[in-house]
Amino acid sequence: MGNLYYNKTAQWAVYVVFFAALGVVPLMVSDSFLLNQFATYGVYGMLALSLSLCWGFGGILNLGQGIAFGLGAYGMAMTMQMQSQTESNPIPPFMLNNSLESLPMLWQPFQSTTLGLILAVAAPTLFCAVFGGIMFRARVSGPFFAIMTLAMLSAFYTIILDRQAYTGGVNGLTPPGSFQFGDFEIDPYSPAAYWVVFGFLMGATFLTKLITQSSFGLVTQAIRDDAERVRFLGYSVAGYETVIYTISGLIAAVAGCCWVMLVQYVSPAQMDVSFSLSIVIWAAIGGRHSLLGSILGAFIIQGAQSYLGDTFLATWLLILGGFFIVVVRFLPNGLASLVEKAFGLFERRDPTSSPAPDGGRPLPAE
Amino acid sequence: MDLSSLLNALILGVSIASIWLIAALGLTIIYGTAGVINMAHGELIMLGAYSSYMLQFHLGLPYLLCLPASFVIVALVGLALERGLIRYLYNRPLDTLLATYGVSLVLMQGVRLIFGSDPKYLAVPEIFQSNVMLGSVSLSAFRIVVVAVTALLVIGLWLLFYKTRYGVQVRAVMQNKEMAASFGINAGRIYMLTFALGAGLAGVAGALFGVLAIVLPTMGASYVVQAFLMVVVGGGSLAGSVVASGVTGELQSVFAFFTNDTFARFIIFVLIVIFLRFRPQGLFAQAGARR
Amino acid sequence: MSGLLEIRNLSKSFDATKVINDFSMEVVEGTICCLVGPNGAGKTTTMDLITGRIKPTSGKVFFANDDITAKHEHLIARAGIGRKFQVPAVLRDMSVQQNLEVAFSRQTNPFRNLFKFRKAGLKDKLDEVATLAGLTGRLKERAGILSHGETQWLEIGMVLMQEPRLLLMDEPIAGMTEGEAEKTAQIFKDLRKSATLLVVEHDMGFVREIADVVVVMHMGSLLAQGTIQQIEADRRVRDVYLGEQEAA
Repeated sequence: MGNLYYNKTAQWAVYVVFFAALGVVPLMVSDSFLLNQFATYGVYGMLALSLSLCWGFGGILNLGQGIAFGLGAYGMAMTMQMQSQTESNPIPPFMLNNSLESLPMLWQPFQSTTLGLILAVAAPTLFCAVFGGIMFRARVSGPFFAIMTLAMLSAFYTIILDRQAYTGGVNGLTPPGSFQFGDFEIDPYSPAAYWVVFGFLMGATFLTKLITQSSFGLVTQAIRDDAERVRFLGYSVAGYETVIYTISGLIAAVAGCCWVMLVQYVSPAQMDVSFSLSIVIWAAIGGRHSLLGSILGAFIIQGAQSYLGDTFLATWLLILGGFFIVVVRFLPNGLASLVEKAFGLFERRDPTSSPAPDGGRPLPAE
Repeated sequence: MDLSSLLNALILGVSIASIWLIAALGLTIIYGTAGVINMAHGELIMLGAYSSYMLQFHLGLPYLLCLPASFVIVALVGLALERGLIRYLYNRPLDTLLATYGVSLVLMQGVRLIFGSDPKYLAVPEIFQSNVMLGSVSLSAFRIVVVAVTALLVIGLWLLFYKTRYGVQVRAVMQNKEMAASFGINAGRIYMLTFALGAGLAGVAGALFGVLAIVLPTMGASYVVQAFLMVVVGGGSLAGSVVASGVTGELQSVFAFFTNDTFARFIIFVLIVIFLRFRPQGLFAQAGARR
Repeated sequence: MSGLLEIRNLSKSFDATKVINDFSMEVVEGTICCLVGPNGAGKTTTMDLITGRIKPTSGKVFFANDDITAKHEHLIARAGIGRKFQVPAVLRDMSVQQNLEVAFSRQTNPFRNLFKFRKAGLKDKLDEVATLAGLTGRLKERAGILSHGETQWLEIGMVLMQEPRLLLMDEPIAGMTEGEAEKTAQIFKDLRKSATLLVVEHDMGFVREIADVVVVMHMGSLLAQGTIQQIEADRRVRDVYLGEQEAA
């Protein structure tokens, strides 16, 4: 039988319960401001999920997840900005302030909502495929890859800051209206916006869960364990790493789009090092080897942060930092490993089951 | 462009290089010796700036004495950090990276709670406030102080690593920890001292940066990534970081001459990524390959 | 007669040291070839050169008449060469069964594997190999907790799961009991019907039992080649081994 924690049916059951619980939220919450906030947690959950896939399952620590998120967010913001421009007034105000007289090439595709959305997701995904492909083929891995993602993140951060006329610079973009999809307007404070995020989060989670349980997932876990050995089994390690890094980037890009839909705002702060590192903290505290653990990590931490509010922000971040240190030092697999251990205890009381394999490190099932 | 403005850019480049380098010095010896990726390095720099501020504001210590005093204070913080946390994580490089990021959060927020978020300023002797003409470049005298202090520290470190018993021990531990241990070298002690030394260097950098810019709890964040890149590009050795900072500073200055500061930094980041793609071991690979 | 594996004039230098020096040999399909030689003769380096782990300074390696010199490791593996390492390399954090499943690498394309949950032929192959390797009762265990002998078996099992045409076995019976070694010999001899083996081994008793051809390496070069009887009668070979014993 083994530990229930590794039972695939049980895992799926927990996922279904989890999303059912998230599904009833709009029915219980009437405060539209609160609902909007819950939806943003969903976006953070998607980010944590994307990192859990890449880092927890693929063993690739990505400190620059903000790249894909930020590019997706900018793409979405550009699309929404252009939705509010009319034929008599085709150029966004901040460009006029920066004395641009015509719409730059970079912005032209975003005049079409469909093309804009495609670009918002495709551009970051393509970036991940190319950057990841180059790095992994050169066998850059571990802490070294982490530093490279930091460098790349800093590069994007500075270029967006610098090209003010195209990106809005430090102020970022603040599209005035809510997102129009065809004839349908998605008011960020409406249940519809919540449902969109809910749908993407659920879709991404199930997709990711399937991937981790497939043959592909097995190979990536093997790569995490011993990449050198896996090469001699005939698998292209670089290929697998690139694919998992790219899928992770795709999810982050979708999260970026959702985020702008909810807050109608994007700025270089989303590409700041500290934001990308907070994604790492969510996944680490929740448990990077567990998709659900990571999502919950994001919910708990971001929830606590907004509950405590701005007045206690410094104290909260102090506590968070301390807690994070404790988790890394004593609980490398995050809070999810406590659940695993709890089930392990439960299992030993059952005399019919075989003794647990030495308990300590989890089998990679989840 | 004319020759004299290029010359100006090159002279400015030396100043920029010294800033890149002094931010990276402490990190270089910590990473080079123990392989620890210390994400709290920026906050150690910040602590250096606040130490100087405290000493100057409350004890009235002259600025030049604040430099060594900040070294000692931040070195002690580094010592405590190594004993309390880092030493448990030496075999887990990714975890040291994460844990030290936690440390950086704690330090930053702790300082914010104590000192508040409003900027502090360091006063320097009047003679450093003037400008000096170098050829046709007008450079603030303090930037020359930064270059001088950086140069002194590099020479000092070189002597320490290549002319003392401690230096021999450090290099032995870097090459082969087990072998060094069999010769009676206590690797744990070497790591501890090196970490304290690296932290102390961050303290000096902080005391200098506090004058170049304002003193804020968040000031460290902007230095840590660029300091890392210098270490990685250099390959983790002292000479590597010196050359990497020198080249980067000059390039940045020249690019900034053609475009602007921010865009120049963008180009630098991209060039570094490209460079490391083809030479992941950095400029000067260490004999004991750590990666 | 052309071999399944042919090594032609292979050389490899690290800095100024020549580790492999103009070494040539071939392995005929359907045979077991044993590569022997004193420590430092370059046996494991030769394995590394065949499997693409390191690139030769000069010379060529042909497999089934294809030039595989300095190809990437995974391409060489896909061409049909499986390898067991000297220090057994298994995926320690994964279960024994998962180790074997990963090694069953008929489909290596990441996109095709993305949503693939059942692999055709896996179950039969897994049962067969697990039985052969004596690991049927240990499939759910984490590979990291296996004994040294079991780890050796697991890695041999992994190589079998790969269904390679050529199996490179670097010291397969190190750390095994006499009984286990005998069983290994029997398995190797059975394998010869469908595959070809190149075995590096120090245990001359084991070599005597399984080898069709013995190749002796010394200082990175070919010293002698022939049947076990020829090799044991060879004076040069005896000098090399005796010389080593005297030194030790």
